Amino acid sequence: MNNNPRLRLAILGIAIVSLFAALFARLWYLQVMATKEFKSAAVALQTRTILEEAPRGRVLDRNGVVLVDNRISVVVTVDAKKLGDIKTGDVNAYNGLLDRLATEITRYMPSEPIDRAFLEHRLTDPRFSPYLPIPIADDVPKPLELYLAEHHDMFGDVVSVKQTTIRAYPLGRTASHVLGYVGAITQEELNVHTSSPKTYSLGDEVGKTGVEKTYEDYLRGTPGRQTLEVDAKGNTVRELAHVPPVPGDDVYLTIDANVQAITEQSLHDELVNAHNRRNKDGSYNAAPAGASVILDPNNGQVIAMASYPDYDPAEFTKPIPSDRWTQLNDPSSLFPLNNRALQGEYAPGSTFKLVTALAGLRTGAITPATTMNDTGTFHVPGCTGQQCSFKNSGGAGHGRVNLPRALTVSSDFYFYSLGSQFWTQRSTFGDPIQATAQDLGFDALTGIPLPGEQPGFVYTPDTLKAIHEKYPTDYPNGDWYTGNNIQLAIGQNVVAVTPLQLANAYATVANGGTLYSPNIALKIQTPAGVVVGLFEPRVLHQVQLPPEVRGPLMQGFTGAVNSSEGTAYGAFRDFPTWSVAGKTGTAQVTGKTDTSLFVGMAPAEAPRYAGSAVLEQSGFGATAAAPVIRRVLQSLADPAQAPTVGPGGVLSSPAPGLIDNANGAPD
Amino acid sequence: MAVSAVPKVVVPKSPASTLRRNPTAAWRHLDVVLLGCVVAIACLGALMVYSATRGPTPPYSLTFFEKQALYVAIGLVVLAITTLVDYRVFRDWSLFLYFGACGLLALVVSPFGSTSKGAQSWFQIGSFQLQPSEIAKVALIIALAAVASQFRGEIDLRRLCVLLVLAGLPLGLIMLQPDLGTALVMTAITAGILLVAGAKGRHLAVLVLVMLLGAGLALHSNVLKEYQTARLTSFLAENVSEKNDPALAQAKYNVDQSKTAIGAGGPLGEGLFKGSQTRLGNVPEQHTDFIFTAVGEQLGFAGAGTLLALFCIIIWRIWRTAQLARDEFGMLVCVGVLAMLMAQIFENVGMTMGIMPVTGIPLPFVSYGGSSTIAEFAVIGLVLNVHMRRFS
Repeated sequence: MNNNPRLRLAILGIAIVSLFAALFARLWYLQVMATKEFKSAAVALQTRTILEEAPRGRVLDRNGVVLVDNRISVVVTVDAKKLGDIKTGDVNAYNGLLDRLATEITRYMPSEPIDRAFLEHRLTDPRFSPYLPIPIADDVPKPLELYLAEHHDMFGDVVSVKQTTIRAYPLGRTASHVLGYVGAITQEELNVHTSSPKTYSLGDEVGKTGVEKTYEDYLRGTPGRQTLEVDAKGNTVRELAHVPPVPGDDVYLTIDANVQAITEQSLHDELVNAHNRRNKDGSYNAAPAGASVILDPNNGQVIAMASYPDYDPAEFTKPIPSDRWTQLNDPSSLFPLNNRALQGEYAPGSTFKLVTALAGLRTGAITPATTMNDTGTFHVPGCTGQQCSFKNSGGAGHGRVNLPRALTVSSDFYFYSLGSQFWTQRSTFGDPIQATAQDLGFDALTGIPLPGEQPGFVYTPDTLKAIHEKYPTDYPNGDWYTGNNIQLAIGQNVVAVTPLQLANAYATVANGGTLYSPNIALKIQTPAGVVVGLFEPRVLHQVQLPPEVRGPLMQGFTGAVNSSEGTAYGAFRDFPTWSVAGKTGTAQVTGKTDTSLFVGMAPAEAPRYAGSAVLEQSGFGATAAAPVIRRVLQSLADPAQAPTVGPGGVLSSPAPGLIDNANGAPD
Repeated sequence: MAVSAVPKVVVPKSPASTLRRNPTAAWRHLDVVLLGCVVAIACLGALMVYSATRGPTPPYSLTFFEKQALYVAIGLVVLAITTLVDYRVFRDWSLFLYFGACGLLALVVSPFGSTSKGAQSWFQIGSFQLQPSEIAKVALIIALAAVASQFRGEIDLRRLCVLLVLAGLPLGLIMLQPDLGTALVMTAITAGILLVAGAKGRHLAVLVLVMLLGAGLALHSNVLKEYQTARLTSFLAENVSEKNDPALAQAKYNVDQSKTAIGAGGPLGEGLFKGSQTRLGNVPEQHTDFIFTAVGEQLGFAGAGTLLALFCIIIWRIWRTAQLARDEFGMLVCVGVLAMLMAQIFENVGMTMGIMPVTGIPLPFVSYGGSSTIAEFAVIGLVLNVHMRRFS
């Protein structure tokens, strides 16, 4: 390089030109070529959308009695943003404020003591948006509310008191399994609901079980949407748009709150009775649990559905403590959250004789007039092995029985014989009991719009073999013997049903052959009272029940209740107004006392109700289960004497018809 | 007979008319293009400072705008002084200026100085904050130009070392604060003057190598604080998470906000007082180091491009003045000023657009700041001075 300054200045000039060229090129790229993405990024930085949860719709019974309501809860909230500003300014002031807040809340609400660590944990809980006040205490008493208002100087704008709506249950635990409960939405549920028009965000209430879950889309309100302009620090500058929240729609159920409360009370009372009762063999019944379903056979509507033990849905309006959750799901608590009416699978015992009888008539194996001589013990023809004779329940013979009388007195002999005949002449008959069971809705979901329904099972030789091959340890024997068919004929061993299926099958007989998928909801109505959805009866299929078939069956069931030799005669003595038809059942469970079952239809001439009751480990069907249905039907038959349900689910008086049928007949 | 001719009386011209007709009079050569561009940019700058500091909603704050307007006014007065006093006077006083400035730099890192954002770089004098580093830049230009001009284009290794020591003293003091941005500008000034003053090519090449090695070492050792390394390297980083490296994430956040603001401006801009990034204060330090984002978002490519074009004209006029300068000192002063402004413009604008590391350097005449604005006007005055007196 020489010493000519002009040349050196020229070099400098070239450097300058290239530097400016770089700046112009970059500016062109940012502002002309890539401006679109930067513009949208700027809009995203500028606005925040805040969703305001809308009140859920209510749940009412068929007559408009409110089952699930919303109530105002006074909540203490903390503005995390402002609290954060205090923390950056003065950590001691921040600690002091939280300590003081925890102390005061604990002082006024000693049942739920909290400390600063609790508050700090809550403030970082991802369920809550940092742009909304974060709730730290629910249902605060008035004095605390006043205290916080009077000490505004101490807590400043950080702590405020606001009102929110939470689920309320005017009738307490009544229908808890049907109603279900709500809880904070989980990430998995959020993923399921991404396409819902009623936007969900983490921490929102969502129906977890029962009607709350099934009709979530109606019950959930449409959240309000507040669009805010925020600055770099997240402070609100102004409101850009506000769409107010729209409350959810009300769901009217087919349930009748009075009948529901009576059913639950009766079920509970009979379980207590069974528990205190000593059996003839000297044993006591555990009687831990049971279920009962009352249907309208003419449209498949569920009038009442009880399951015991039950739970208090109000427990779930706050985040449920994990130890309580563990307790609710512990086997020793008998799974109170399970709805046994549709999740419990029980051997039906003699209530299944409906199926065997219908199968016999359909195949022509018997006519209504076919008689047998019930000697009390059935010997399998041509059998030479050990398990060749089957005794009647109770051991005694019933003499000569035709089909109606076999149902009335619940002659095991008659049905043992049918079961045996079906097996020995399998090439002629096939598997008629299983086919008929499926025709009546067993071994399949009824399709009731409630979550968790179980299908039960009715094995055939083929399905038993398949299940044995799949689970050889649980099902060691995959071969089907005559004994299996004999047990099947009386609803034992290879068959299990839910209380709902049982009621639904008898409802089909009661209405003359229409198998409905039961409905739980009647209609959907907006808060303004506009009906936006009606639930019509849903027919699954028609069951062939011509009068010459249905007549003898109903005659047998009517006799079981009304004939002095009927198995349920004692349980229904002095029943007013209606004649009831029904069938008792007592199912043997290995290692436990018998399951007590009863299915009833009333009035027998043109049934308006069909109901089942299943009481675990409670003895004979006539002793424990039949009185439950009797009491419910009595209130339905004689409404003037029936109690009404009041606040908390308390009945105005005990439902009439409570009888002690300790010496119920075996079946 | 001889008639003696009466000699015509020559009426002497009045001093005023002499001046008027003297084509070499200094005032006739005031570079109005340079002055005009500087004043235009300063006015735009004050407006941009206002837009970046008025707040999102009424009542709007005028505090920063009024202060910046005052600084511009003071700057114009200082510009008048540095224009009117013959630039050779500054040469004669150069070492006094130089050691005075170095003394201030030493004082500011003593307990007399005040600290802000990790650098001890200013004195609090009443409500005014004096940054001696801004004075030091001016003093360095004059001192380097004065000494180098005496070498008359012959710079051997010994002379080179003299110049390097001269530059090294204030540079070292600046690094004590530490103020990387000003150090960078001072390096640019030194490099520019060395280049034009006649330093040998091989010497310059060795210097560049040494600087690159030094920079590499500094980034990989513990000389720099964590946030400094982060700022310097953030424009290269792509995926940064808050957890892994908070300092880097913060620096990257600043640049992302800055790029978003400029990019959102588009070809024509969001309009004055309309850009959301500017209005809502999403860009950190927007009225000072990141003022270019306010121009970019509100006025778009049209406005930001015009601003860059005005800077081009300023740099061109200074470069031209360097060529026209009557003596080597004048030329080297212009080169020093050119290097200082060019370094600040490129580093500052490049930083806001994500092609240069983040350092705290003001954009000349636009960024809010008293000392820097006044110093920038002062050096423009020097250039006007050299241009004006190129015939005298």
